[in-house]
Amino acid sequence: MIKLTDVRKSYAGKVVLDGIDLAVQAGEVVSILGGSGAGKSTIVNCINGLVAPDSGSVLLDEFSVANRKGLREIRKKCATVFQNFNLYPHLTNIENITLAPVRVLGVEPKNALADAHDLLHSVGLNEHADKYPAQLSGGQKQRIGICRALAMSPDYLLLDEITSSLDPEMTAEVVDVLKLLVDKGMTMILVTHELNVARSISSRIVFLEAGRILVDVHRDVFFSDAFLDENRRIKSFIASANGL
Amino acid sequence: MPTQEGFNHFDLMLWLAGLGVTLSVFLISSVFGCLLGTLMAIGRYYQVAVIGPLLFAIGEVLRNSPVIVQLFLVYFGIPMFFGIRITQFDAAILVLTANTAAFMSVVGLSALESVDREQVLTARSFALDEMDILRRILAPQALIVALPLTIGVLVNQAQVTSLISVIGVADLTRVGHILNQKTFEPFIVWPVIGATYLVISLAISALGKHLQKRVKMSGPLANQKETFAFD
Amino acid sequence: MSFLSDIGPFIPALWDGFLTTAAVSAASILGSFVVGTALAVVATYGGRIAAMAATIYIEAFRNISFLVLIFFFYFGLPELGIFISAFWTGVLVLSLAVGAYVADAISAGLTNVQGGVKDAATAFGLTTAQRIRLLELPLALRVSLRPLGSLFVNLILTTSILSTITLNELTNAAKIIASTTFRPFEVYFLLLILYSILTYLCSVIVHRMHVRANRFLAT
Repeated sequence: MIKLTDVRKSYAGKVVLDGIDLAVQAGEVVSILGGSGAGKSTIVNCINGLVAPDSGSVLLDEFSVANRKGLREIRKKCATVFQNFNLYPHLTNIENITLAPVRVLGVEPKNALADAHDLLHSVGLNEHADKYPAQLSGGQKQRIGICRALAMSPDYLLLDEITSSLDPEMTAEVVDVLKLLVDKGMTMILVTHELNVARSISSRIVFLEAGRILVDVHRDVFFSDAFLDENRRIKSFIASANGL
Repeated sequence: MPTQEGFNHFDLMLWLAGLGVTLSVFLISSVFGCLLGTLMAIGRYYQVAVIGPLLFAIGEVLRNSPVIVQLFLVYFGIPMFFGIRITQFDAAILVLTANTAAFMSVVGLSALESVDREQVLTARSFALDEMDILRRILAPQALIVALPLTIGVLVNQAQVTSLISVIGVADLTRVGHILNQKTFEPFIVWPVIGATYLVISLAISALGKHLQKRVKMSGPLANQKETFAFD
Repeated sequence: MSFLSDIGPFIPALWDGFLTTAAVSAASILGSFVVGTALAVVATYGGRIAAMAATIYIEAFRNISFLVLIFFFYFGLPELGIFISAFWTGVLVLSLAVGAYVADAISAGLTNVQGGVKDAATAFGLTTAQRIRLLELPLALRVSLRPLGSLFVNLILTTSILSTITLNELTNAAKIIASTTFRPFEVYFLLLILYSILTYLCSVIVHRMHVRANRFLAT
């Protein structure tokens, strides 16, 4: 279980996270929604340790991001996919995928390669294994990014605005891959501002505003008319998001 | 007043000896200077406390003062001040190594900084340790940026070696001076010596271009790559 | 006796050396600028053969050690019956050698001038020579100011090499003081710091000029 307790973070006096309490159980798919600047991505970066919270605790089971050993364990168990892919441009796609399993988990290079080919096959990119990221489209790059994360056999997948840099067609490619993962029971925390993506895969929706969690409900509840009528601000957020 | 004589075959030996001295001083100081400069760059990239700023300050003084004065300081100053004996050759190696290191630290730092910071963060999020990140993420990408700049530094340093003649090292320039005094043929001696430096510089440039081509061939710009290895 | 009291009597000599360094630097900066600009214009607008000649000049002077160049001229010119002082030999060789680097910096600036500017100038009826002199060179210089600055800082450091042809500049003055006071370490260390301060001041001035010259490019 990932557990955030009263996590606070400010940048240069500006409060980004203002007391976040959030628990994600194995098997859940949680979407974090909210406008830009609401602090969505910072939550993910607090979990993978790229951002150190000012106060509060971030735990994964018994491990804490606050100490070196705990952070390393958490990073092994949580793999992140990034908005701008962040693939290593000097490595081939398959090398992007095998680097961390080989160097961090100590997987035999031969086995890592075989696993990577399986992953690439499952996202339909096997023939691009030996190409470089620069030779792929955005949707393809992001699928490589997902493969790179999955190659760590993570318990949790952190997805940070992974469709935001993609056009609708490419977004669909990526969402198809995510649906496969949902079917396999992968635990995911998905940061997004795209409602369709959240609606199509998540089990739970967390709505963030100004660094606080406004609501934390089941997906079906979130998108129900009764709920939206009660929560006008969310309704207007959805209206403006759909209007885009 | 030396007597005027023509050239003889010993002069060729002298020229070869000078060439040997110049090349060995250049090679030794380049190898150690590049290594040291790279370490300095890494120290500054990771903002190592105290050592980082100290190396920066030393590097700045080395880059902003004449090599000739540095040579005088080491060769004449150190023995007098510290009571240590130091040979001309050692002084030359010491100063040129430090100098190359100072320039290479700037090259190395800008090369490291040219790699997108996001790459480092991404690698960290995958629990890769800093040594791995340096070796497998930063170094290969920084190298491509650093290579042409390094060639520039080395071509420059090859010519800077001529200054060691002022503390009496019998390098190419010193040989030129001796032959010039002996024969009074400046229009033969100095063009020959100058051409030798020109050839050395062009050889370094050519080698650098060749290396650059090879790096590019095996990098993201090449379409095919057969080998795959993580040791 | 302390270092300061040892060196005290030599301060005037050091000052004279500094003035010589300053004078030879100023004259050479001017000279190398003229040589470099001429080469850059020839290389950019002069046609194939002229451009090739300019390239050969630039490559030769960039790849031959300055000390060898200075000896060539210092010992060579008298053989041709040309007798000039160490000072002017220094200015001549610095101008020719640094000019090669200056040419590169200005050429880079010239190739950077946008085609639209050239077309507009031609459309307004400026001759090619006017266009180069009034528009392209000034624009190129703005871009080249920073690289030129570091070249000129380097030139100042290179003047120390003129001590080998008996020019009594800063380094040579220090050499004399070092051997008279038997304090080479202190003298040369002081000199190192002096040069660093001098070049630092020059970089600051160049930076100011760069900012001023490019103020219309506010971002």
